[in-house]
Amino acid sequence: MTRAAQNLLLILVGGAVLWITLATDDYLNYVRPGFRYVLVPAALALVALGAAGLRREWSDEPTAEPDPHPGHGGHPGPHGHDHARGPRVAWLLCLPVLAIFVIAPPALGSFTAARGADRPPAPPPSRDSEGYAPLPRDRGPIPMTMGEFIGRAWQAQTGDPSTFEGVPVRLTGFVTPRRGGGWQVTRLRMACCAGDAVPFPVIVKGLPRPPADTWVQVEGTWRRQPPGAAKSGVHVLYGTSVKRIKRPANPYE
Amino acid sequence: MMEPAGLRTADDDDLLPPPDWAPGRPMAPGTRAAWGFAALAAVLAAGRLWVAPAVDSRALDAWTTIFVAVCVQALPFLVFGVTLSAAITVFVPAAFWKRVLPSRPGAAVPVAGAMGAVLPGCECASVPVAGGLMARGVAPAAALTFLLAAPAINPVVLVATAVAFPDAPEMVAGRFAASLLVAVLAGWTWLLIGKGEWIRVPPRPAAEGVGRWEAFRQAMRHDVMHAGGFLVVGGAAAATINVVVPAGWVSGVADSGWPSVLVLAALAVLMSICSEADAFVAASLSQFSPTARLAFLVVGPMVDLKLAALQTGFFGRRFAVRFAPLTFALAIAASALVGGVLL
Repeated sequence: MTRAAQNLLLILVGGAVLWITLATDDYLNYVRPGFRYVLVPAALALVALGAAGLRREWSDEPTAEPDPHPGHGGHPGPHGHDHARGPRVAWLLCLPVLAIFVIAPPALGSFTAARGADRPPAPPPSRDSEGYAPLPRDRGPIPMTMGEFIGRAWQAQTGDPSTFEGVPVRLTGFVTPRRGGGWQVTRLRMACCAGDAVPFPVIVKGLPRPPADTWVQVEGTWRRQPPGAAKSGVHVLYGTSVKRIKRPANPYE
Repeated sequence: MMEPAGLRTADDDDLLPPPDWAPGRPMAPGTRAAWGFAALAAVLAAGRLWVAPAVDSRALDAWTTIFVAVCVQALPFLVFGVTLSAAITVFVPAAFWKRVLPSRPGAAVPVAGAMGAVLPGCECASVPVAGGLMARGVAPAAALTFLLAAPAINPVVLVATAVAFPDAPEMVAGRFAASLLVAVLAGWTWLLIGKGEWIRVPPRPAAEGVGRWEAFRQAMRHDVMHAGGFLVVGGAAAATINVVVPAGWVSGVADSGWPSVLVLAALAVLMSICSEADAFVAASLSQFSPTARLAFLVVGPMVDLKLAALQTGFFGRRFAVRFAPLTFALAIAASALVGGVLL
């Protein structure tokens, strides 16, 4: 790999990262929103590195290019390679760039959610050890994250059901069909990147199933399950209405 | 990429065998290209016949998303590590390390392990930094101890662990103790049985004749090129594991003693989660014993697919095939020991 190719590759990789962070919001499909603040400086560093190299070698061209071993004639390194040229494996850096531009992979959806269904449910969020604030009952459906819904439902199921039973809530997620009929609304939560995404599903009862992977807002109420029925660990929302929506800018929770 | 045969030597790199390596008469470039294309056509036809009907397009999407996600997530840490590594080799004089680290390698190893506590970053950053330390004359065993300790015991990772295990501060203590123990033991083991020729100390462009900034730029580009390609390999492997291996197979052994520790340790290797995120995943594996989850947290930042690929890129294959199993075995033993005492 020539030095010019290396410099262009650096600019290409940096440019692709700038594209998914600054020009579009695609990076939200892959990493958490806060990652933007480390991705942009890293991408700028790569572009600057490539540009400096191009500029330098442009002005050095007549003297440097004919001699591939400038500056260290006697010792080409312990494994006998010349570090002015890059390794062939570096070409692989084109792959993620190609994937970003050509395929533009979407956010994870029902495929990952269905695979995660074999796993036991995620534990309730940690803050419910102190308990959630009480909810108003007379103000219409309360928008809620899946994590909060599951945490509150878990707390109500194991403690005092009256704190949550009958409170109208609104959940946002995508539709995943359940094995053996029925469906659930699911949101994936990630700690760092899409590689560690964990599904947070809630079963919806009493409403017809929209097509899989459709983004929906479901309104309904939680009801306590008889002991034994909640074996699967997935909580149930008795739905009153379902509305199709556009995919949110950040598809993860 | 096809060039006239006479020009090859100027543009090829060390991965290609020298032209006189092949016994007998080398094939003409045209013949080789024809064979190559025939093989490619055969692979494509076979793939279309047998693989394509079985591939779920949603699975392919998920694979691509996770592949890009792993690469994108690791990139800032890699750039940070590469910058730091270049700065170490160019701007920090070699005399500094002689002053900071004890001259006897055996004594330098624990000091290097403790130094790992101050580099905030995940494992992608620590590999190039360790390479930079070696290039600056630090004993390889001490640099390797730093490489193992830095991603596991730095403040960012410990805080993330404390957040993920709010009711179990002993998990943070256990992670710190077991990781430091493994790093120091691995360093000493390498010192005892390691051979110099197994490890390829990353070369540095000679700085004479060029300015410091020019040397800095060349060192940085060299490291990005070597690490970047292998990072892509590791990302592809991690994405494949994530999509292909059924998630249910791990829960079957959760209640068993030793097998559950081994399964979570193997899972840490395969999943290649960044050390700043792995505590959250470990917390969600709540059906496993605390010792098994500790093994997940100790093995993950030290041995995984992405890391093995990066180490191959920096230190050579002969190093990676020896160092990864050594660290894996030590990490399991240390987690079992510390888990038995603390958890």
